[in-house]
Amino acid sequence: MILSIVILIVKIVLLIGILMGGFAYTMLLERRMLGFFQLRLGPNRVGPAGLLQPMADGIKMMYKEDLMPAAADPWVFRLAPVVALTAALSVDAVIPFGAPIHLLGLTISLDIANPSVGLLYAFAFSSLGVYGIVLGGWASQNKYSLLGAVRSSAQLISYELAMGLSVMGVLVMAGTANLEKIVQWQGTHHLWLFIPQIVPFLIFFITAMAETNRTPFDLPEAESELVAGYHTEYSGIRFAMYYIAEYVNMITASGLAVTLFFGGWLGFPFLPPIIWFLLKVGAFLMVFIWVRATLPRFRYDHLMNFGWKVLLPIAFVYFLGTAAFATGVL
Amino acid sequence: MIGFIILAVLALGFALAVVVAKHPVHSALALVGHVVVLAVFYLLLKAEFLAAAQVIVYAGAIMILFLFVVTLLTAGKEDQDARESLPAQRGIAAFLAILGGALLAGTAVRVAGTPAAGRAPTGYGGLLDMGRLLWGPDFPYLALVALMLLTAALGVIVLNRPEPAGAPVKEGR
Repeated sequence: MILSIVILIVKIVLLIGILMGGFAYTMLLERRMLGFFQLRLGPNRVGPAGLLQPMADGIKMMYKEDLMPAAADPWVFRLAPVVALTAALSVDAVIPFGAPIHLLGLTISLDIANPSVGLLYAFAFSSLGVYGIVLGGWASQNKYSLLGAVRSSAQLISYELAMGLSVMGVLVMAGTANLEKIVQWQGTHHLWLFIPQIVPFLIFFITAMAETNRTPFDLPEAESELVAGYHTEYSGIRFAMYYIAEYVNMITASGLAVTLFFGGWLGFPFLPPIIWFLLKVGAFLMVFIWVRATLPRFRYDHLMNFGWKVLLPIAFVYFLGTAAFATGVL
Repeated sequence: MIGFIILAVLALGFALAVVVAKHPVHSALALVGHVVVLAVFYLLLKAEFLAAAQVIVYAGAIMILFLFVVTLLTAGKEDQDARESLPAQRGIAAFLAILGGALLAGTAVRVAGTPAAGRAPTGYGGLLDMGRLLWGPDFPYLALVALMLLTAALGVIVLNRPEPAGAPVKEGR
């Protein structure tokens, strides 16, 4: 009993450490890659090849003045970034980072919780993340922040539906909503689910990009129209929390995509499973950065039309087809 | 039991805050908190699917819409006590609340001590079990709810239908 609690605490601390480290170096990777995409070098002065840049950024963020507008709602203003970060970190609790390991006669699964409906838990927590944005935008009492918040809530509600429908096919094929079992199903059938579910995978990836507010879906913080959207009035450590939340969401979305469609920790045996998982997540993060460097921002009506009139019907039809195949109707 | 008491206090606190809070956004926030605490209750009762569904549907979708409307309507407005148009509403509300509470408490006291009818079957409240119920014996209800929501959606579309080209523009739209 005590041992399992100790293991749990160690796992939680490790996960948060991995996510924070992941955030720091995803950010550095993004800045350097964006530099290369734009024919410049990116930050390369702090430490060898700029590897210590995240530390410099962190120290800068901590010592910056923490401002709050006079008209702001102090409670909600302080609560909002915490909600955003908490929701972002919580989603990863159900993602299995590797095959269960055997240590000193114990079997330790590499996720913090393994509920039977793990996938739904991931969705539940990620749907709570929007509160951070909506509340932050409202509490700032700034019209640009509010516009960002309103855009964000409309965008999230629209794209969450298509996202939910896109993973239904995975549920039907694997016959379970438990993320560990979904990976194991892909192992025993020697079939990574992106092969039969390529269209839902693409929809999942597009909607995940929208849910993380990344370019081309960064309308909530569109800097050319809304200054910085919902986090216009945030500075210092609170701004950093929003920033961390965005990158952790990116890592989470990549982790979910890998788990659901790309066999999670599965891979050739010359590398340990957890390395395979991290490699695949890294590949997805690269795609996120690549897309950001390549595509311009959506116009608002295009965004809504694309979500409701393209993604949602396609996801629905494909899911019906999957269900018909899986149950043997077709 | 300790978990139940903590959660019950939290749930009651959030529920009270919904009513007491001066600002509608704070009320909505408290309601979100209440919904999340309820979900944890379901978890304690081993209804994992229901807990997840509660958070996704109520906290993730419905309350976001609430906040969407409330934040838009209250943006830039000062807090002020509007005059109440129904003079006796506080009294009536208190009476109804006490009545409802008394009925609930009465039922609880009457049922307390009676053992539950057998153990819940394994997998009860899980995804498969819920699916079998909803698409099996309870399917008519599901279909009726779907029909009702479809009616609402159709109503919205009809109300927001653009005027046919050439039609005179009505005032007040």
